[in-house]
Amino acid sequence: MENVLSILFCLTLLYLVITARLKTYVGILRAQGILLSVIIIFPFLRHLSVHILIIPLMSLIVKAVIIPRFINKIIIDLDVKRIIEPNIQPFNFLLLSVASMSVIFIMSHVLSGYTPIETIPFASAFSAIVIGLLLIIFREKLIVHVVGFLILENGIFLFGTSIAAEMPTIVELGALLDILVVVFLMGIAVNKISSTFTEQKVTVLGGLKD
Amino acid sequence: MEILIPLAILPVAGFIACYFVHNRKAQYIISLSAAVVHLACSYLIFAEIIIPAESDLFRFDALSRLFLLILSHVYFWILLVSYSYLNRPAMVKEEKSKKFFFAMLNIYLLANTLALISNHLGIFWVASEMTTLSVAPLIYYYRDKESLEAMWKYLFLVSVGIAFAFIGFLFLALSAGKTVLEGQQLLVSLFTLHAKQLNPIWLKASFIFVFVGLSTKIGIAPMHTGDIDATSNSPSPIAALMAGSLRGTALLGVLRVYQIMAPTSTAAFARSIMIIGGLVSLFAAFVFMFKVNNYKRMIAYSSVEHLGLITLGIGTGGIAFFGAMLHTVFNSLTKVVLFLNAGNIHKAYRSREIDSVWNVLQNMPWTGWLFMLGFFAVIAMPPFGIFFSELMILQGLLSRPLLLAAVLFLLFFIFVGMSRNVFRMLYSNSPNNHAAAIDDKFEITHFTSLVLLILLVILGITMPPQLHSVITQISKDFGILL
Repeated sequence: MENVLSILFCLTLLYLVITARLKTYVGILRAQGILLSVIIIFPFLRHLSVHILIIPLMSLIVKAVIIPRFINKIIIDLDVKRIIEPNIQPFNFLLLSVASMSVIFIMSHVLSGYTPIETIPFASAFSAIVIGLLLIIFREKLIVHVVGFLILENGIFLFGTSIAAEMPTIVELGALLDILVVVFLMGIAVNKISSTFTEQKVTVLGGLKD
Repeated sequence: MEILIPLAILPVAGFIACYFVHNRKAQYIISLSAAVVHLACSYLIFAEIIIPAESDLFRFDALSRLFLLILSHVYFWILLVSYSYLNRPAMVKEEKSKKFFFAMLNIYLLANTLALISNHLGIFWVASEMTTLSVAPLIYYYRDKESLEAMWKYLFLVSVGIAFAFIGFLFLALSAGKTVLEGQQLLVSLFTLHAKQLNPIWLKASFIFVFVGLSTKIGIAPMHTGDIDATSNSPSPIAALMAGSLRGTALLGVLRVYQIMAPTSTAAFARSIMIIGGLVSLFAAFVFMFKVNNYKRMIAYSSVEHLGLITLGIGTGGIAFFGAMLHTVFNSLTKVVLFLNAGNIHKAYRSREIDSVWNVLQNMPWTGWLFMLGFFAVIAMPPFGIFFSELMILQGLLSRPLLLAAVLFLLFFIFVGMSRNVFRMLYSNSPNNHAAAIDDKFEITHFTSLVLLILLVILGITMPPQLHSVITQISKDFGILL
C-alpha cells in the first residue's frame, strides 16, 4: 500500500512537470500533503492512539490546508499571471525530469541490495527532491520557486518516513512549524518584491554582486 | 534540565515581553538582562563551575561549552550597542523594523543556544532553521531594495541548504542499518560510541550533504553568496552577530558529523573534503578582495577567508585543529570590531562604497583608529590573537609543503587586496577638497571595540588555562592527540 501511495506521489510530480498553470501547482501541493499524511499514518493503522495521530494531523493541516491557501492568496493578491513562464522548452523539461527519475529508480534498486531501504518510497522521495530543485532552476517566477522548495521539503518528508528514522514528536512538530514560517516569510518577501520591483521574477534580483 | 531556564526559557520570556512592551528602553533593559544572565551561565558552564546534567537531547561537552560561550559573549556586546544604534537618526522606513528588533534578537539567542547544546541532530536541524528565520527579518531592517533582495536570497538559499543538511542527517540514520543503532534516535553521543559499525558509504554521503548544505550558512565557497549579501546589507550589529556567532553555529553541525566519522575509516575522506572547501574559500576571498568596492562586502569576504582557514585547520588535524578552534574564538571577536566600526563609517558617509569614503582617520579619529586596529587584528598581525591561532594552523600544515605554499600565497594576496582598500578609506584625500563635518564622539561602539581588541591581545598572549583545557578536551573528543 505504501508503494501504491508513493507511485501516486510520483505521478503528481510528473503532472507538476507538464502543467503550465499556477493553480494546478497549488492543487498538487494539496494532493501531496494529503498523500504524505496518509503514508505516515499507514504503519500505525492497527493500533491507533491520540499520540500517534498528532503528527499526521498536523502535517495534514499545514501541508494540505494552510500552505496551499496561503499561496493561493498570494497568487490572487498579486494578480500573478496564472500561466507560468518557463525558460526551457516544456518537452525538454519533461524529458529531463523523466530521465532523472529513471536514473534515481535504477540507482535505488541497486542500492537496496546493500542497505535496508524500501526502493519505491525511497526513489519517489528522491525524485521529489530533484524535481523541486529543477523547478527552482528552470522557472523564473519567485512564487514557483517557493512551490519548488515545498516539493523538495515534501520529498525529504517522504524520505524520512521511507528509511524509518524515528524523530521525537517535538522535532517533527518543530520541523513543520519551521516550514510554515519559512513559507510565510517567503510569501511576505514575494509580496514586497512585487511592490518594490516591477516584476516578481528572479531576473530582477541582480542588484547585489561584485 | 534546570539549566534550560536561564539558557532557553529566559529568551522566550524576553521575546514575549518585548512583543507586548512597546517602549524601546524597556525592551532594551529586558533583553540586556536576559543576555547578562545568559552570559554568566555560559561562563559558569564553560569553566565547569556548573556541570549541568546531560540528557538524551542536550549535552554540554567541551565543544558545546566553547561555542556557547562564543555565542553568548558576542550576543552580549551586540545587544549592548543596539540601543544606541536604534536611536541614531534614521530614515522613516526603518522605524517599523525597530519595533521587533529586540524581540527577534531574543529568538535568535534561543535558536542558537538550542542548536549549540543539542545532542539530537533533529533538534539541531530545527534550531538552525529557526536561526535563519529569526535573522531574516533583521536583514530586512533598512526596508530598501537591496536589503529585500539580500533577505530573499539568504532565506531561500539557506533554507534549501538546510534541507540538504537534513538529507545528510537522514543518510546518517541509513548508515546505521543492520547495526545496534538501527531504529535508534539520531543522538550524536550514541552514534560516536558505535561509530565503527556504521556503513562507510552512507557516512560519506551524509558528510557531503551536511557540509554542502551548511556551507550556505557557514559561508564556505562556492555556497557563500547568500551569506555575503546578507551580512553586507544588514545593519552593522546584525552583520557582526552573523559573522561572529551564526557562522559558528552552522560550523558546529559539520563538526558534529565529523565527530561521528573521526574514529572510522571515513575520517580521511571528510578531512580532504574540508581541506578542499577551505582552499576554495580562500581562493574566492582572494579573487573578490581585489574586486569589491563595498567595504562591508569586503569584511564579509574576510569572513569567508577565515571560516575557510578554520575548516582547513579542522581538515588538517593535529595542532592545526587546535589552532582552528582558537581561531573560531578570535575571529568572532575581531569581526564584531570590524563590523561595528564599518557601521559608524556608514553612518557618517552614508555610503558603503570604498570610493566615497575618504580620510576616515582625520575625520573620525576614534572610528578610524579602531577600524585600523581591527584590520591589523584580522590580517593576523601580532600581538592580536589571530596571529597565534593562524600560526598554529600553518604549523599543522608544515607536513604538506604544497598546501602550505598555496595557503600562504592566497593569504598574502588577500592581505594586499584588503590593505589596499582599507588604507584608501583611511588616508586618501577628499575628492573635492572639503572637509566633511562629521562629529565622532566616543560612544558605546568605540568602548566595545576597545574592550574586544584588548581582550584579543590578552587572550592571544596569555592563553588562559581554562580555554586551553577546553580546546585540548575538544581535540581529545575528536581523537586528536597533541
